[in-house]
Amino acid sequence: MHEISLMSGVFEVIEATLSQLTIKKVTQVKLKIGKLTNAEPDALTFAFEAYSKGTVCEGAELLVEIVPVRGQCKNCGEEFLVQELLFFCPKCKHSGIEVIQGEELLLESLEVE
Amino acid sequence: MSSHREIEVMANLLQSNDVQAEVNRKHFKKNKCLAINIMGSPGAGKTTLLERTLLHVTEQYGVAVIEGDIFTSKDADRIAEHHVPVVQINTGGGCHLDSKMVEKVLPEFQWEKLDLMIIENVGNLVCPADFDLGEEFKVVVLSVVEGDDKPSKYPVIFRNSKVAILNKMDLLPLVEADLDIMKNDIRKINPEIQIFEISCRTGEGIQAWTEWLGKQVKQAKGRM
Repeated sequence: MHEISLMSGVFEVIEATLSQLTIKKVTQVKLKIGKLTNAEPDALTFAFEAYSKGTVCEGAELLVEIVPVRGQCKNCGEEFLVQELLFFCPKCKHSGIEVIQGEELLLESLEVE
Repeated sequence: MSSHREIEVMANLLQSNDVQAEVNRKHFKKNKCLAINIMGSPGAGKTTLLERTLLHVTEQYGVAVIEGDIFTSKDADRIAEHHVPVVQINTGGGCHLDSKMVEKVLPEFQWEKLDLMIIENVGNLVCPADFDLGEEFKVVVLSVVEGDDKPSKYPVIFRNSKVAILNKMDLLPLVEADLDIMKNDIRKINPEIQIFEISCRTGEGIQAWTEWLGKQVKQAKGRM
């Protein structure tokens, strides 16, 4: 259940973002979560509801976008979707693959009122 | 009338952990000390591996240990018997160590005497993989009796580790696990990973691991 720790990160970011603004409430929180992390959307939602009680975020909608894993071959530069976590270049079969997408743990945006 | 507006943020949720991890990393480098983070499920044999490792490396190198545990100091007590400086971190229910917990205990060590800092994480194949502690590299310990499906079920920890240690090799004939499946899946997830097959009970493979680790300590000293 480290989604609880991640959620404390979400609320740190929200607090920092809103500190300079006057708003009534937050109506939507958008997260971008890479598939190559261990964050689970349902657990994030659960943690969000617990954390947001009594804050400006209470009742806000949490949207979690799951980002698929994309890799780039260090040998030939080919970019591809990493399926079933097979880190092999489909073009040259090289196994040195840099992950260019799929490790995100981001707060993308807030909708406020 | 209510006015909705969207605020673009794009901030990393692990920002504060990652910032502190970089500070820890600089601390280890400044003190020419290789820090490693040992992870694995409860019962994989992390503490026993540590004990066996200490027997081989403490003659040559200054070693200290940070023990992560949810409630007890049982592991730290075991390590202390090897006359190695050890500090216990109790996470109080938390399923992983984070960089701030590690930072808090750094002043408790005599850094001028240390070449190698081994951090044993909380027993868990999931959460520790996401949290950078400032270590040079991560080591995942998996015992073969846990089953050959574990690498594919918990890929992130194998992707993020430089070393996979397959422990309890002496028990392999007694269980259904297929070692080839286990190793192939690990290499699919992380083709650059270093795999050691060991048994802490019989001592099989321990020397290959500790020699490799000793090399890493020397290389790190040269680089820093």
